[in-house]
Amino acid sequence: MVETVIMTNDILAEDFLTIFISSTLVLIFGGFYVGIYTAVKVNLLKKWTMPIAYIFWALTGYCMYVMGSLMHINTFTAKALVVAAFGLLLLPHAVYYMQHKVHEENKH
Amino acid sequence: MANNYLTTESKKLATWYFTFAAIIFGAQLLFGLVAAIQYVMPGFLFEIIDFSIARILHINALVVWMVFAMIGSVYWLLPDETGIETVGIGLGKLLYWVFVAAIVIVILVFLLVQVGPADQTTIWFITEGREYIEAPRWADIGIVIVVLGFIYNLYATGMKGNRSGIITVLMADMLAFAGIYLAGMGYTDNISVDQYWWWWVIHLWVEATWEVFVGAIAAYGLITMIGAHRKVVEMWLWIEVAMLFGSGILGIGHHYFWIGTPEYWWEIGALFSALEPLPLVAMFVHVLYDWGKMQGEQNAQGKEISVITNKPAFTWFVLNAFGNFLGAGIWGFFHTLPQVNLYTHGTQFTSAHGHLAFFGAYATILIGMFYLAVQGKNGIKIMKSTKKSIWATSMIVGGVMGMTIALTIAGYVQVLVSRAQMGATWAGYFDGQAGMWFAQGMDWRLLMGVITFVGFLILVADLLSIGKADHHER
Amino acid sequence: MAKKSVWSDNRFWQRSAAWITGFASILLIWLTFDTIPQITMGTDADLKQGVTKRVPGPTVINYKITYEMNAKRMHEIPVIGGMNAEGTSAFEEKELFFGRDDWSEEEASELLHLGKLGSQAKNCMDCHTLLGNGAYYAPDLTKAWLDPAWGPEGSMQAITGKSTKEEAMAEFLQHPSNYPTHARMMPNLGITEKEAHGLVAFLKHMSSIDTNGFPRNFGKIQGAVHGK
Repeated sequence: MVETVIMTNDILAEDFLTIFISSTLVLIFGGFYVGIYTAVKVNLLKKWTMPIAYIFWALTGYCMYVMGSLMHINTFTAKALVVAAFGLLLLPHAVYYMQHKVHEENKH
Repeated sequence: MANNYLTTESKKLATWYFTFAAIIFGAQLLFGLVAAIQYVMPGFLFEIIDFSIARILHINALVVWMVFAMIGSVYWLLPDETGIETVGIGLGKLLYWVFVAAIVIVILVFLLVQVGPADQTTIWFITEGREYIEAPRWADIGIVIVVLGFIYNLYATGMKGNRSGIITVLMADMLAFAGIYLAGMGYTDNISVDQYWWWWVIHLWVEATWEVFVGAIAAYGLITMIGAHRKVVEMWLWIEVAMLFGSGILGIGHHYFWIGTPEYWWEIGALFSALEPLPLVAMFVHVLYDWGKMQGEQNAQGKEISVITNKPAFTWFVLNAFGNFLGAGIWGFFHTLPQVNLYTHGTQFTSAHGHLAFFGAYATILIGMFYLAVQGKNGIKIMKSTKKSIWATSMIVGGVMGMTIALTIAGYVQVLVSRAQMGATWAGYFDGQAGMWFAQGMDWRLLMGVITFVGFLILVADLLSIGKADHHER
Repeated sequence: MAKKSVWSDNRFWQRSAAWITGFASILLIWLTFDTIPQITMGTDADLKQGVTKRVPGPTVINYKITYEMNAKRMHEIPVIGGMNAEGTSAFEEKELFFGRDDWSEEEASELLHLGKLGSQAKNCMDCHTLLGNGAYYAPDLTKAWLDPAWGPEGSMQAITGKSTKEEAMAEFLQHPSNYPTHARMMPNLGITEKEAHGLVAFLKHMSSIDTNGFPRNFGKIQGAVHGK
C-alpha cells in the first residue's frame, strides 16, 4: 500500500499558483480583518462595518484550508495553522482591550 | 555647519554614522544594479566584476549600512531617553573611524582581490565565502571589538542616566545582536554544521534581534513624532518583544528543513513560522492605533491640525509598519511551510522575499531616522515634506515593490519548470532561466532597480536640502 | 479612574517578555544539543560497519552514491554503496574516484578539507546554492555529483574530453570559460588542479548528506513534461 501512495505527496504543478495565491490571501484577508477592526475602534470607520471584519477573518480561515489541503500538510502543521488562525482572531481584541485600559489609567 | 542645533556630542556622532550609512546604501544599490544587469546581459563585466563579487558587495553593503544606521539611531536617541550626554563619547568617535576604515579596506579587498587560494590565509584576509558574512576573519574580530565599545557606551549611559523601557530593551537586544555574531566566526569542514551556525547569525539577526530593534525605534518615533503616551508605547514594546522573540527564535527551524538536520525541524519550523507574522500584524495595528488615538485627542480639543511633527520621517515609519508586514509577513509566509518550501527553497522567491523584507522592515525605518536627524540638526519644530521627499518615497517604494513582483514571477517560473517538472538539475535550472516569463521578470527587475536608484539619488538630494527649506515651523 | 489591571502593568509585560525569550532560547539550545551530534560527520568505521549517518565520513568518496525514493520516509534519501532490502544504504558497492577506491580516512579528510576551504575561498555560494542556500545565479550544487549532465549519458564528459565524472568536473572547474554551456558562464577563479580535486570530493561528499528529500525528484525526470 505504501508503495502506491508514495509519489502522491508531490505537489501537482497546476496547484502551485493556487497555493501561492491562497497563502498570500491568508495574510491579506487577515490584514483586512485586523485593519477594519482597528479602524472601527479608533472611529475611522462606522460601527456597522465590524461584521465585515469578521467576514474577512472567515475568508482567512478558508484560504488557509485551501492552501493546506493542496500542500498535503501533515496533521501537526494543520494544528499549527489552526492555532495561528485563532491567534489572529484574538489578537486585535487583546490589543484593544489592553490599550484601552492603559489609556484610561493615564487620562487622569 | 554654521547653524548647528545639536547640543549633544552623541547626536553629532549619530549624524556621522548616518552619513556613512547613506554612502554605503548608495554602494549597495549600485552593485545591485551591476548584478541585475548581469542577469539580462551575462557578458557584462565578466571576469572583471563577476556576479559573485557584485552580489557580495550588494549584500554586505546592505548589512553594513544597516548596522551603521542602527548604531547611529541608538546614539541619536540616547540623550533624549536618558537625559544625559552619552558616556564614553570619545571612545565612540574613535571606534567610528576604526569601523569606517575596516569597512573601506574590506570593500576594496572584495573588489580588487576577490578570491584567494583554498587555505586559511584567504579566510583570514580575503573572504570567508559565507553569504552575508563574507568579511574575512580579521574584520570579524575588529567588528566585535567596535561593537563591544558601542555596547559599553550604551550600558554605561543607560545605567548612569534615566533607564527608560526603550533603553532597557535596546541594552538587552544589542548585547544579543553582538553575541550572536560570534556563532558565525568559526570554520568547519562539515557543511551541515557550518550552515547550522551560520543561520544563528543570519536568522537570529534579521528575524529576531533586528526586529526587536525596529520595535524599539518605532516606539521612540511614536513618542517623539506624534507625542504618543510613553506608558502605552513601552507596554506595547514589551508585548512585541515577547511575541517577536517567542516566535522568531524557534522560527529558525524553517532554515533547518534541508541542510542535513533531523526531520523534527519541519514541525518546529512550521509551527513557529506560522506564528511569525502575528507580531508584525500587531506592530502594524499598534502604529495605526496610536496615530488614530493621538489625532482623535487633538481633534477633540478643537484643533484640527496634524499631530505629526516630522512628516517625511513619519511617512517612512508608517511604511515600515506596512512593509514589515508585507515583506517579512506575506512574502515570508507563502513559502515557509516545508511542504511548499521543498520546491521554493533556493529560487528567486527567496530573493523576492529578501528584497521586500530588508527594505520594508529595516531600510524604511532607518531612512525615517535620517529624516529625524535632519530635523534635529536644523532645529526644526515641525518638519514638512518637500516635493523631493514625496518623489523619493514614491520612486523607492514603487521600485522595490516592482522588483519584488518581478522576482516573484521569475521565482514562480523557476518553481514550476526547474523544480516541479525538471527536478532541480543543471539542465532543469537553465530551462527555468530560459523561460520567457523568467527572462521578462529579470528585465522588469532591472528597470525597477534603476527607478529605485534614481529615487535614492533624489532622497540624498532631499536629505541635504530639506533642512534649509522655509516652509517648516521653527 | 479605572483601577490598575495586571494587563496594563508594564512590569508584568516586561517579565513575560523575559520569560518567553528565556524559554525560547533554552529550547533552541536544548535542540542544538540534540541536533549537533546527529549532524556530526561520521567516520570510516561507520561506513565499514554499515552505520547510516546524516553526514557520512569523508571516505564516502570511495563508494557509489545514488538518490532514491524511500517508502518509509516518503521522500528521497542518499543511498551509499548500493541499496539493501529495506531501501537504505548497503555500504557495499564501491566506485573509483580519480582512479582509486581505497582513499584512506586521512587522505579523504584532507581532500574534503581542501574542497570545503576552496568552496569558501572562491565564493561559490555567491552564485550557486549549497544545500539550497546562497545565490540563484547558477545551479544548485547540493546533489550536483548526481547530475545526469556529468554522467556517462550526459554531455559534460564529451565536452571536456574526459572519461569519468570526477575528471570532467575537475577539468571544468579549472577552465570553466573554455566549456560554455549557456550565455551565462562560470568565470575563471584560478582554481588549481589540486583544489579542483578537493572541490569535486566536497561535491561528492555533499551529495551523500541526508537532506530530508531536498531537492525533490533530482535527476529523475527527463524532459519538461510533468508526470500527469
